[in-house]
Amino acid sequence: MILMTLTTKNISALAWYRPLGMFLFAILISGCASDLQTKVAGNLNSLSEDQTVAILPIETSHLGQKEMADMFRHGLYANLKQSKFNLLEKYIVDGLLKQNNLNDPASFLTINPMQFGEILGVDAVVFSRINKVERTYFILHSSIELSISIQMVDTRTGEILWRAEQTEHDFSGIGKIPTGIFTALLAPIQFVTNKFNLRKMTAKMLDKLTALVKKPENAETNSKFENPVIAKKATIDLKKIEELQQLKAEWTQALALDKEMEPEVLQDGTHQEAEKETRALKNDPSSLAPQAMDKIQNEGPLRSGVRKVLDVEGELAPLPTVPQPKGQEAGTPAPLNMWKATLTTPTHIEDGEKQPRELVKSGKNIKYAPTRSAAFYTVQVGAYKTKAYAQNLSNKLVKKGYNAFVTRNNKQIYRVQVEKFKNKEDALKLAELIRKKEKLKNFVARATAG
Amino acid sequence: MGRRIVGPSRIFPFLTPCIAYFCILLAGCGTVDLEIRQGYTNSNMQPRSVAILPFTLEEPDPEEVSPHELFRTCFYNYFSYLGYVDLPLKTVDQKLSRAGLTDSNKILELSPEKLRRILGVDAVIRGRVLAANNFTGGIHAETSIHAKIDMLDLRTGDILWETEHKEMIYSGILSPTIVDIIRDQMENVKVHQAYFKTAEIFSVNMMKEIPDPADSWNEEIRLPEITYIETNLKPDLKLKPSDRIYVSLKGDPGLTGYFDIGSWKSNIPLKETVPGLYTGSYTIKASDKVTSSLIIGSLKSKNGLIGKKFYKNGMAQFDSSSTNGP
Repeated sequence: MILMTLTTKNISALAWYRPLGMFLFAILISGCASDLQTKVAGNLNSLSEDQTVAILPIETSHLGQKEMADMFRHGLYANLKQSKFNLLEKYIVDGLLKQNNLNDPASFLTINPMQFGEILGVDAVVFSRINKVERTYFILHSSIELSISIQMVDTRTGEILWRAEQTEHDFSGIGKIPTGIFTALLAPIQFVTNKFNLRKMTAKMLDKLTALVKKPENAETNSKFENPVIAKKATIDLKKIEELQQLKAEWTQALALDKEMEPEVLQDGTHQEAEKETRALKNDPSSLAPQAMDKIQNEGPLRSGVRKVLDVEGELAPLPTVPQPKGQEAGTPAPLNMWKATLTTPTHIEDGEKQPRELVKSGKNIKYAPTRSAAFYTVQVGAYKTKAYAQNLSNKLVKKGYNAFVTRNNKQIYRVQVEKFKNKEDALKLAELIRKKEKLKNFVARATAG
Repeated sequence: MGRRIVGPSRIFPFLTPCIAYFCILLAGCGTVDLEIRQGYTNSNMQPRSVAILPFTLEEPDPEEVSPHELFRTCFYNYFSYLGYVDLPLKTVDQKLSRAGLTDSNKILELSPEKLRRILGVDAVIRGRVLAANNFTGGIHAETSIHAKIDMLDLRTGDILWETEHKEMIYSGILSPTIVDIIRDQMENVKVHQAYFKTAEIFSVNMMKEIPDPADSWNEEIRLPEITYIETNLKPDLKLKPSDRIYVSLKGDPGLTGYFDIGSWKSNIPLKETVPGLYTGSYTIKASDKVTSSLIIGSLKSKNGLIGKKFYKNGMAQFDSSSTNGP
């Protein structure tokens, strides 16, 4: 009606209508407000049809948003189907998640993207959350507000390839100039109750939201991440893997050197005995008595050490019980004469060296009796190239009441050893105790006091 | 003083426009009347793989836009969300083209047996766009797609479901607000987008009616299994040009194997040397820059499912000093 009136009025009247026109234009722009923040990574471009992406179930802020979440996920899927990469079908994603008991979308962000990579067999995953779905009505005015967060993470690297957050707001009411009295009354009701409007808004929102992912080559500089951003969970776990690798490298080096030293440490019949046991184990492991089995297990830390690290990797959660260095400490160089004097015997770098003692069992307590012999047996619980690692483990054991000390051999390896015994049986008993109580792999070594 | 009762004659003039208004509003979001044939309800006979044939247009193409092609693409995007193994449109077109079939109308006339032989699927979806219209003039804007769509079981030759529906986006004198009218007019002028939006609403409404067999397949989903992955990478190893990364993995036999070096190098082929054992390698080039990338082994089955396993005992790291000049 207003439009018709507009056309019939004379030109001079246009001056009066100009502010109205401006007002209409302003409403047109502000009527459907949209706030979109989106960024993509340069690596998004490298995703091709050879790469598969999975859209995970949508997280919602409350149960009432389930229908909206389904609609949004379906729309997101249809929109991303226009991208260069391949999409894993929804029923496969849901089926695999169900098989792995991953039923709560709220917990997805706490899981390492690499894990999703293995569970779903995909190169990237899309996490999304509906932050807000708000429908309000007040007599002649109603509005709908939607807010959504979304991010795509590369499961191979943990890099965030796309991150977006969008809020869409639309309303119906006097502000939009109703075409009549009925529409003024009924349109706001219809606006909030008709699901079609919500669907229309969602479709519009998704179109804007996914525009950059569909054509990442169109991304302007301000829409790109300056540096690669790694997802928090992936950062933590990648750091753990790196730390483990560093640790493993230390172990490998130390153990290789330790193996070289082994004939020097286990002298006389001890080494031969151990070798004999190993051969017997190879022939028939079940034929060995449990005690002998323990000896074999304790013989060299190579196998046990590697096994320990692998367990941790399997879980990808806790770090091994080996203490972490608080700060890198430079090793103290040994005096030249000492190096010459300790070709086969450990160099004690701690003060207050104690004489070997005998293990005396008294009820539940284990006491140690001093011995006077120069040659002794000791329980070795670790060997490190870095002094700080060795020192930390030693301190930890001392705090627990063990007579632990750090020695250094001529290969500049710092070894953590516990107690000094005259006879081997006592050392083996302590080794067993440490293995059970402290969960530390160890072996019995023979050495002579320097 | 008796209270004056408002008679029906007073209410009637208000009631009519109210009803008319709601009728028009609801007409824009009509539900699709999908007729599901009895045979379809038998879960054992549900088709697993489906191809969407090229849609036809009964009328001549409107300028610059092919509404039937747009509709097919849009329909496919939404349909592939359901639990069918759907053949990508590109693959369907390639297979038909290889069989010398490029005319969409002639494709629709093919027998189910022949279509099954060409496409290798259990069922096809056929779409005939009977009318497509986009009009913007004065205060009236309208975009509509009227189509007949059905699913044909190629194993039996039966139609599993069918529908004839007209989806329309309308804006005009009966729109609730002036701002909406102007906005809709502006949007309707963009013909391509207007058709796509209409096709989208058509598709969404159809998907609500098409039975989704997803739940029937949940038990059967199984990714190819990889039991272990091994490489020659070591924690302290820094890669130099001409160094080789060797990868071997053990898993299900007879599949396509490949490995990735992070996201930096993808799909490096692995050869199945003995059943279930796949090996391959990559030689580092001088231009390669690898910073802490994990090795990921993959096995791909014929139906496109991929099993992945990360090698976590070592990362591919490049020795930067080897390329640094003096």
